Amino acid sequence: MIDYKSERVMYYKVLVGLLLLTAVTFVLPYLFEAGANLPAQMFIAVIKAWLILMFYMHLKGEKLISVMGIFSLAIVLVFFIIVLVVDVANFQFKDESHITAPQHTTTGVTENVAAPVKH
Amino acid sequence: MAHEYIPEISTDRDGNEHVVQGWQDDFYGGKLGFWLFMFTEVLMFGAMFLVLTYYNMLHPADFVTASASLNRFLGGTNTVILLVSALTMGLSLLKMRAGDVKGAKLMIWATIILALMFLSIKAVEWTAEYNHGVFLGLDALQSGNAHSKPFGEILFFGMYFTMTGIHGFHIIIGIGLMVWLLKRINAGKVSPEHHILHWNIALYWDIVHLIWVFVFPYFYMIGAASGGTGGH
Repeated sequence: MIDYKSERVMYYKVLVGLLLLTAVTFVLPYLFEAGANLPAQMFIAVIKAWLILMFYMHLKGEKLISVMGIFSLAIVLVFFIIVLVVDVANFQFKDESHITAPQHTTTGVTENVAAPVKH
Repeated sequence: MAHEYIPEISTDRDGNEHVVQGWQDDFYGGKLGFWLFMFTEVLMFGAMFLVLTYYNMLHPADFVTASASLNRFLGGTNTVILLVSALTMGLSLLKMRAGDVKGAKLMIWATIILALMFLSIKAVEWTAEYNHGVFLGLDALQSGNAHSKPFGEILFFGMYFTMTGIHGFHIIIGIGLMVWLLKRINAGKVSPEHHILHWNIALYWDIVHLIWVFVFPYFYMIGAASGGTGGH
């Protein structure tokens, strides 16, 4: 059995930290330019995620699960970065894809000008 | 046909054999298995965040404009609600581990109520967006017609409804799991001595909260400086 009264203090401390960081996310857009706002927001989100993982999800002191998690996520991240950077940089159908083709909005109507794909 | 009971044998480090009484107490195994499941959740949402980032790279200005039109007051309220619900769920597990079963059940009920509040606010938000013509399948989010939004905004809202929808679905699953947990506690199947189910459902609720920690700033806050509280 654990001592509820002493353990709950940590939960309340983390709650206060998370609330403060949430308040910071509302201030950030007025401190940074639009381009820097997103990385700043994600940085705060990572700190919040770390607090949740370590204290609410009890990863503090859990070496095996932590190492397993970091290792698996690192592999996935490397794989995704390779896919994103290498594959997207060499995307052959940029002018034909519905997503990447340039858009015409001069008439007020969004028109996709993707070249017709030859079958 | 009845099967003869063959006990499982485990061997300790010194080579001594022991009859295994049951796997119900394999607390670490249960926890490790659930973490593996949670990695698949991270993988799914991670892939969606990558798509979102790619679209954002293609249409950064449209993303800021679309984000500015979301209701940050409702989104922020939902963030605080989920935050408090993570606390109540955590306290319920603490109370269970401390032997206070009644207190644990009360905290689970509090979490369920907060989860329902989250869904209600999300429903209000989606309804307002639908009434303003911004919803999957409506003209504003289809390219090539007079009501079309710029293509980047179409991509933004497509991902917004997809990701917040899947997240909302996880909240509904979470409510179901908590109701099931209450039934198991009432049946005496979950107790201060055997609480792995409670532990794992608390972990599930934390991962749902964790995903929202990234969903909220990405959708609601990147256009926040464009003026007002936003909102359809």
